[in-house]
Amino acid sequence: MSKNNKKTAAQKKPDIKVYNFCSKKKMILGIFIGIVIALIVGILVRGVNFAIEFKGGTMLTYNYSGDINTNDVQSAVKNIVNVPVTVRSGEALDTGGKQLTVSFTSEEGLNADRQHELTEALQQQFSSNAIELSDSNDVSPSSGREFLLKCLIAIVFAAIVIIIYIAIRFRKIGGWSAGLCAVFALCTDLLVALASSILFGFEFNSNIVAVILTILGYSINNTIVIYDRIRENRALYPKASLNELINLGCTQSLTRSIRTSVTTIGTMLIVTIVVMISGYNSLLSFSVPLVFGLISGTYSSLFVAPVTWSRLKAREAKKKAA
Amino acid sequence: MKKIGKSTFFIVVVLIALFAASAVIGLDYYFGDNATTVIKGVDDIRLGIDIKGGVDVTFAPSGDFDATDSQLDAATETMKTRLSSLGINDNEVYSDAKSDRIIVRFPWQAGESDFDPEAAVKELGEMAELTFRKGTDSDTDEEGNVTPTGEIVLNGTDIAEAGYGQQPNDYGDYQWVVSLKLNPSGKEKFATATGELAGSSTPISIWMDNNMISAPSVNSAITDGNAIITGNFDAESSKKLADQINSGALPFKMETKSFKTISPTMGEGSLDAILLAAAIAFAFIALYMIVLYRVPGFVAVIALCGQIAGSIAAITGWFGFMPGSTLTIPGIAGIILSVGMGVDANIITGECIKEELRSGKNLDSAIRVAYKRAFSAILDGNVTNVIIAIILMGAFGVPSSFFSKILNSTIFRMFGATTEGVVYSFGFTLLAGVVCNFIFGVFFARLMVTALSKFKGLQNRKLYGGDVK
Repeated sequence: MSKNNKKTAAQKKPDIKVYNFCSKKKMILGIFIGIVIALIVGILVRGVNFAIEFKGGTMLTYNYSGDINTNDVQSAVKNIVNVPVTVRSGEALDTGGKQLTVSFTSEEGLNADRQHELTEALQQQFSSNAIELSDSNDVSPSSGREFLLKCLIAIVFAAIVIIIYIAIRFRKIGGWSAGLCAVFALCTDLLVALASSILFGFEFNSNIVAVILTILGYSINNTIVIYDRIRENRALYPKASLNELINLGCTQSLTRSIRTSVTTIGTMLIVTIVVMISGYNSLLSFSVPLVFGLISGTYSSLFVAPVTWSRLKAREAKKKAA
Repeated sequence: MKKIGKSTFFIVVVLIALFAASAVIGLDYYFGDNATTVIKGVDDIRLGIDIKGGVDVTFAPSGDFDATDSQLDAATETMKTRLSSLGINDNEVYSDAKSDRIIVRFPWQAGESDFDPEAAVKELGEMAELTFRKGTDSDTDEEGNVTPTGEIVLNGTDIAEAGYGQQPNDYGDYQWVVSLKLNPSGKEKFATATGELAGSSTPISIWMDNNMISAPSVNSAITDGNAIITGNFDAESSKKLADQINSGALPFKMETKSFKTISPTMGEGSLDAILLAAAIAFAFIALYMIVLYRVPGFVAVIALCGQIAGSIAAITGWFGFMPGSTLTIPGIAGIILSVGMGVDANIITGECIKEELRSGKNLDSAIRVAYKRAFSAILDGNVTNVIIAIILMGAFGVPSSFFSKILNSTIFRMFGATTEGVVYSFGFTLLAGVVCNFIFGVFFARLMVTALSKFKGLQNRKLYGGDVK
């Protein structure tokens, strides 16, 4: 903020109670490290269940009527594609009709020619079941991996650009370290969203990519609002120590952070409930990780980012003194 | 600050209402029976195939074929012609020269029931090269694949037009045939070849790719530039062959690299669920904002309506300078995020107004200073989201789009174009939402709050969060 705004409210010595966030460094980081370790262990134990769009492979869903023996279908499909297949039967969500899901991974995927061949063969062999293709998803493993890698690079690139942006905009209060800490806090939010998705047993599909992107935007915005408060306070109280500024900034932002979080988390809870009631569970893999990511986003931007930043700065100061 | 009078509030509200109404309802006019859409409304939103269901497929040359740019362009054009001859007019076709890929996407047509996506996609990728050859010589490799080896007399480029119909055969029965009209170069070549073969025992064989359709013997030279293909045709197969010849051959055979079809009913239900959730969530946010912030909260709700209308307008292509986009589930996530940021902007401002009032300022200057202070936080938060949106649009956009051209030639060099239009869609709605947030949530909201504070009945400081004094 400019120095001309001599009458701003913040300039008056605040009469609110300032919470000492920085003194609880150990507790905040302790909880944080504990959660991170627990999540990483959880991910390793559960293992990531990549959807076909990422690991490559083929998944065909057929509608059918009457009774069908899934073992027969399995051997019929295996004869044609020559790789191990799994066949599951289930009910269609929308119509309640019977469905067969045929899935397998193969190195090249199943091109349209052969897919057509397979469908025709099944229709002939099980002509009384009126087999009809409902959904199909076929991705060669290389393009699945390529998409995943591209997402990763896009996110890393975005993170770098954001660090540079924060470094420039917040240079008066030591921009580089602030940017670094913001991205660090962001990473933990991404980890929480990812881990909650994995621990709930959702597939790693493009919904989770949407979640990651949403958290990316939300968490950074959250952190920046707090940084802005610190930047404003720096102009107002040039003599205050960084820890004092951080404490004050976080306290001032507390109401806003909580209120904003109530709306965003509330919105996603509403989405989750509606989706559960209406039965379109495919959207749960979007809304549930997002709720956890948003909760983490509130915590990390309010506590983790400023506190790690304070530590980083303290260490810098020590080095300089030495 | 210029003077903002009471009337400003009504002007802004009317402007937002007009904008929202035109973006949601759209504007059509009828001239006779023809509806002309001037402004697209909500009903005209193109839904992505993850919502509406449809086909999303990526083709690449089969084998190790390395296509040149002009070959790829020709193939793309051919694909487009084939799609329209299949009756699929609502399609997107992109090509990417770097990875030699062609991406085809189309949603289901309304009321579609007996469409076979596998057959359609198979047909799209076929090379469909028509050749007339001397003799019926062919090679058969170990796997049983037949390739014709006879000298080529004519190919697809020699044909001006193909048609199909019925004509009587030698026994007087009507049979389906494909008739060809040759162009001048073809006419000449065909006349020479038929003259040469006339009366000999060597037939002319007609091939579609590696399938021999027929091999008639030549009785006399054909000089009028017309040829008839007979074979085992019915109405459908003769039409298909004529369509294939008319849309031209692909310069190479294409195979699917990824192929996704989503049934139509699955998505529609999830869209209903999302819309219901959105309506409930909006009611919740509106109530929450008004209870917490009174006048600024009320204004925030109007501004949010404007912002959401703005996102819809961006998707339908309301803004002439910016092409519309398709709405996908991640696209909806983008709208949710930008609405969240819009709410946040209003909460930040509401908190600032409260602080300024509590520090003892009068209403006028409290509002003025609060918007100024809040702006720096809102600006930085939103700019970072613009950065994210632009990077995503660049990385996952269609190869010909602006951001894509910049990014794909630099950091994403090593990647080919991907079919993940869903990520692009997220970036698009996020960018549109953030820009609208500036217009409605910051600029218009300030005008409205300032104007409302001029009303006598609305000058109670409590209505803005100030302490009772």
